[in-house]
Amino acid sequence: MSKISRRAFTGIAAASAATLAFPSISLGAVPKVVVIGGGAGGATAARYIAKDSGGAVHVTLVEASKRYYTCFFSNIYLGGFRNYGSIGHNYYGLAVNQGVNVVHEWAVSVNAATKRVKLGSGNTISYDKLVVSPGIDLKYDSISGYSAAVQDQMPHAWKSGTQVQLLRNQVMNMKEGGTFVMVPPPNPYRCPPGPYERVSMIAHQFTQSNPTAKIVILDPKPKFSKQGLFEAGWQKHYPGMIEWISSEDHGGLKNVNASTMEFETDLDTFKADAACVVPAQKAGAIAMAAGVNNGDWCPIVPASMQSQADENIYVLGDASVAKSMPKSGFSANSQAKVAANHIRGALTGSKVFDARYSNTCWSLIAPDDDVKVGASYVAGAEAIDVESKFISQADDSSETRAANYQESIDWYNGITADMFS
Amino acid sequence: MKILLFVIFFLTSFSKFAFSDEHSDEQQIIAMGDIEYGEYLGAECAACHLQTGVSEGIPVINGIDAEVFVALMLAYRSKLMENPVMQMIAGRLDDEQIGSLALYFSKLDPPK
Repeated sequence: MSKISRRAFTGIAAASAATLAFPSISLGAVPKVVVIGGGAGGATAARYIAKDSGGAVHVTLVEASKRYYTCFFSNIYLGGFRNYGSIGHNYYGLAVNQGVNVVHEWAVSVNAATKRVKLGSGNTISYDKLVVSPGIDLKYDSISGYSAAVQDQMPHAWKSGTQVQLLRNQVMNMKEGGTFVMVPPPNPYRCPPGPYERVSMIAHQFTQSNPTAKIVILDPKPKFSKQGLFEAGWQKHYPGMIEWISSEDHGGLKNVNASTMEFETDLDTFKADAACVVPAQKAGAIAMAAGVNNGDWCPIVPASMQSQADENIYVLGDASVAKSMPKSGFSANSQAKVAANHIRGALTGSKVFDARYSNTCWSLIAPDDDVKVGASYVAGAEAIDVESKFISQADDSSETRAANYQESIDWYNGITADMFS
Repeated sequence: MKILLFVIFFLTSFSKFAFSDEHSDEQQIIAMGDIEYGEYLGAECAACHLQTGVSEGIPVINGIDAEVFVALMLAYRSKLMENPVMQMIAGRLDDEQIGSLALYFSKLDPPK
């Protein structure tokens, strides 16, 4: 496509974004993609389809928030290393640079038979291909005594936004020498090392502002991601502050009481002065409304990220069943590129290349002590399979750990540009 | 950074010296490349490598010299250069894929 016609297209799309008009107006036979969810999966998919098709595909991104705060790096904020504004992003780049029609509304339902998405305003948008990338919803009732009504007393802070700021506030204002209780979620969940990086960052904050504070982790699991690295780091940087209690030792969380801040287990009843409670998770509601789920999550075709239930719907990121690939922003970004290539091929006849996926998760344990784990993946017949993997070593030099942290900052800048620019 | 440049210089010089064929190893690998394939494969790189501006650690690779790119990827693939992420990424690239990426990134405008 020539530069002039590309520019002309961008003008049309920018105008339609500004007026919230819909593609049904006059775009003729240009194939239409609707992307639901503007996070690491959806924003990346919208950007790559629009960018690489050069106007040959009309892309509408449906995302309720005008400003998107990344979940990744929210722990770095909790540790006091960044301000919250620094992890917020807008969608101007996608609209202006890439010609994506950005619609700030909720998608409330999908009619797969007529290929239409219904929005909160009552308007509908038709699609040729639909990308569903809604992230997670929380299963509040997976913990007895926990509910949306008490999430401000015991923030989950597992979706970015005001919950994360609330948690930071409660950490900063916890009484001197008090006890912080962390309840990580059961598998599978968004960001496997996340709860343990969160504990590390809160511990770091306590060393600065409340050094006699204690942290108790009541884990519903008997083991966790990067466990050896985290435990060695906790011993080194926060001796005596953090106690991790395995499900095998506490016998299961029986009940939480938000008014008394008590956590009842077989082992004991723990009293908290502040807490973070992360319940079990499931795919975002619109995935259920679209009928592409099987139980809590959405099975996909490993070679394309297409839903196993509907070849015109692709499911990305946390909501999908990517098996060995963790639910992470990096994974969602990687999956989005495979889906974008596949969608563009289906709609314009462009070349479709073999699926390849990768992921890396960095976790900050203490200032300049950052560990990472990563893997590359291929599409197997039944699942996305690990091809090769690596993990930080217990005997890494302090220079390596510090370089990992700098690398994670560069990655943050890279992936957010890859999503939003 | 100086050490990195020296390593690149060493690798490119050495491989040019080692192969008496008039085309270096790097040039042969670049000749196998397909730029459209490189664009697809390069999306994986864009998850970490900024396309514009400056970066303190992870370098911007737009506009990189194709032979330097190939030499670097071969060094990561053979684990001569350290960094577990890059060793993993390069470890699964065959020569055609490295050549495709070299073609793609060398043709992009370097950051201003």
